Amino acid sequence: MDSNDGTVQVRGLHKRFGPVTALDGLSFTVTPGQVTGFVGPNGAGKSTTMRIMLGLDGADDGEALIGGRRYHALRTPLHEVGAMLDAAAVHPSRRGRDHLLWLAHSHRIPVRRVDEVLELVGLASAARRRAGGYSLGMRQRLGIAGALLGDPPVLLFDEPVNGLDPEGIRWIRGFLRSLAREGRTVLVSSHLMSELEDSADHLVVIGRGRVIADTSVRELLAAASADRVALRTSARTEAMTVLATAGATVAATGRDTLTVSGPDAEKVVQLLSGAGVPFSEISAHRASLEEAYMELTGDALEFAAAPLDEADEEGVR
Amino acid sequence: MTATQTPPVTPYRSSAVPAGRDGFAQLLRAEWTKLRTVRRWNLTLLGAVLVTVLISLFTASSSSVQLGGGDRPPAPTGPGGEQILDSFRYVHRNLPADGTVTVRIADFRTDTSVTPEWAKAGVLVKKSDAQGASYAAMMLTPEHGVRMQHDFVHDTSGGAASADEPRWLRLTRDGTNLTGYQSADGKEWTKVATAQVPGLTGTVQVGMFVASPTVTELDRQFGAASIGDRPTRSTATFDQVTVTGAQGGWQHTDIGEPPAGESGSSESGGTFTVTGSGDIAPATQHGDLAMMSLSGTQLGLVLIGALGVLFITAEYRRGMIRTTFAASPRRGRVLLAKAVVVGAVTFVAALVATVASFLIAQPILRSNGHKPPQFPEVSLTDGPVLRAVVGSAVLLALIAVLALGLGALLRHTAAAITTVVVLFVAPLILVTALPIGFAQFLQQVTPLAGFAIQETATRYDHVARMCLPEEGCYPQGPWLGIATLFLYAVAVLALAIWRVRRRDA
Repeated sequence: MDSNDGTVQVRGLHKRFGPVTALDGLSFTVTPGQVTGFVGPNGAGKSTTMRIMLGLDGADDGEALIGGRRYHALRTPLHEVGAMLDAAAVHPSRRGRDHLLWLAHSHRIPVRRVDEVLELVGLASAARRRAGGYSLGMRQRLGIAGALLGDPPVLLFDEPVNGLDPEGIRWIRGFLRSLAREGRTVLVSSHLMSELEDSADHLVVIGRGRVIADTSVRELLAAASADRVALRTSARTEAMTVLATAGATVAATGRDTLTVSGPDAEKVVQLLSGAGVPFSEISAHRASLEEAYMELTGDALEFAAAPLDEADEEGVR
Repeated sequence: MTATQTPPVTPYRSSAVPAGRDGFAQLLRAEWTKLRTVRRWNLTLLGAVLVTVLISLFTASSSSVQLGGGDRPPAPTGPGGEQILDSFRYVHRNLPADGTVTVRIADFRTDTSVTPEWAKAGVLVKKSDAQGASYAAMMLTPEHGVRMQHDFVHDTSGGAASADEPRWLRLTRDGTNLTGYQSADGKEWTKVATAQVPGLTGTVQVGMFVASPTVTELDRQFGAASIGDRPTRSTATFDQVTVTGAQGGWQHTDIGEPPAGESGSSESGGTFTVTGSGDIAPATQHGDLAMMSLSGTQLGLVLIGALGVLFITAEYRRGMIRTTFAASPRRGRVLLAKAVVVGAVTFVAALVATVASFLIAQPILRSNGHKPPQFPEVSLTDGPVLRAVVGSAVLLALIAVLALGLGALLRHTAAAITTVVVLFVAPLILVTALPIGFAQFLQQVTPLAGFAIQETATRYDHVARMCLPEEGCYPQGPWLGIATLFLYAVAVLALAIWRVRRRDA
């Protein structure tokens, strides 16, 4: 426990499920004190990576280290790493509190800590109800309570926002940030970048089992927004002709809106004014995280037309 | 793109929770908490107890006793109080004190068509000519060589010998110590044994005897067996007869009633020809009362097995096994803890069930005619009965552990429960239908062997016995039977541990 500095290192992970390569040399490091988003399309290898971190699946090559050690070397893992992989992984006949109770007993964690974490996630009033009657949001909270039971410096959450109502999403974002503020390492996976927009500080984007981007949210947005101009005009066709002739790349984004890359805003004003094309609004384009993400993963999508349900790694195991 | 935002954080240090140790005891406590907090499982366990007791009760209520031959006199009892057979042809003299009898068996053959393996001819010292009186004897048998036996239940082998060749036998009385010797030629003698027979005091009888046990023939068809008893008669010729210390003349006596009739004996010039029928042995019991009152375990095992399976497959089904293995990465110990918990809990529940079954079924069996003198008085405190009642609880606990191992191997509830049923219930039905050799093979090599622990009848190696699966007889005996099941449970659990440690969870 003393040596656990809270970093999570993933080094050259390879994993195959039969003919399918799930992880293809995945490497990244997660540092404490911030929320790290672990993003990628379904099937990119997020859950597999987290299972390997927790010693549940074996890697064909490479290793995942928690505070410098492999998971199997941890003698009291609940005090080192808290994890929620699947909110549905509770026995429906067992009361929520009893589910935490057996976990606590496995580490000699006092019973008062069970009530403490129930209070912390706002589940105290439902603690004595059977987990089978919980809503998805309540199960997510129970899973998070379980992860917090050992008060660990490292927390791993697999798709914690999935299926939550807006109130739940707001709660979990704030909660994740507060955990990071306490100095913990928080790794949160999601297949939707938008879910992480307001909570993550850092992003690890993966696709087809490889890291596509390992960057802070600010940098990613800046990179995606660079050299673009958003334009609103009533004469869309004329504007496109003029700008394209000048060598810019133009994309129509709406009935009267265009995105221009190539020339900067000043140059665009010059060109349009010179040609007498009217426009009502011009601005430097601000990319949303989602757009930046789409740009990154556009060519890394495994199942481009797949619906966004759990067509995760589960299907190929 | 590289990370530039690395806030100056000090890693999180937990203050609220003391570090635990990863002892096995806390794993046991965690698994026990899991088991007791699922109400459905508690109900399954309660159901197993109720099914066991109710089926036992039902079996006891529907039992009945049919005794052939109307009011037969009660069977004689031996010096130890056990029921015995004691009928043979005896040619004897009085022996007031110490003495020796020496004979040569010149010829020994069975007159009827089937030769009983335990036909007996030899020399015998008996307290009196009453059935059940204390005795010691040296004898020759068709298939078991020379034997020395005393007081019905004691038997010592005196070495191999063919009944087709003459054989010398000698029995010496020294107070209550009886020593047997045998010889192929009457010159070189081998001591067989010395038996201390407390009943052979004062004046006793000494002489030659022939006994020829009834042979049981079996006609077995699917689900039904009919047993026929065929009395036999054997004749032996004794010459070179010398007796020291004896008084009075030779008497020719039928001890008991010869089952085959026409026994007899004669003397001609020092050569005796003796024809006898019957046996000197402990009586075989029909119907094991303790086993009958524990029959509910055969159905109780299905629920117990289901619980063992569910204790692990329920975790696989919902992915909870990942929470378990993340909390305790040493998976082998987790499975072992599960086995200990489910084994201990089912043992306690099953013990309640078997004790209750026995106590409730016994009075019913007695009122249905299973009572002395035809049937022995049985009590929970009798050694063999206690073995059967406690052993049945062990049996069910082992089945739960075996089922847990199967569940961990198959990871699928229905598949694992089906396997338990195929392993136990199917053979239970099949053994009554299959040819006896194959049925007994199944009883010995399948996990079904564990049910042998329910037998309470004492086995004697010196009595030919028909071991019928439908009577609940297991050829290997109780301890070997339960040990076989134990090995199965350990092997399946070890295989499951090996597998679980290698597979992705």
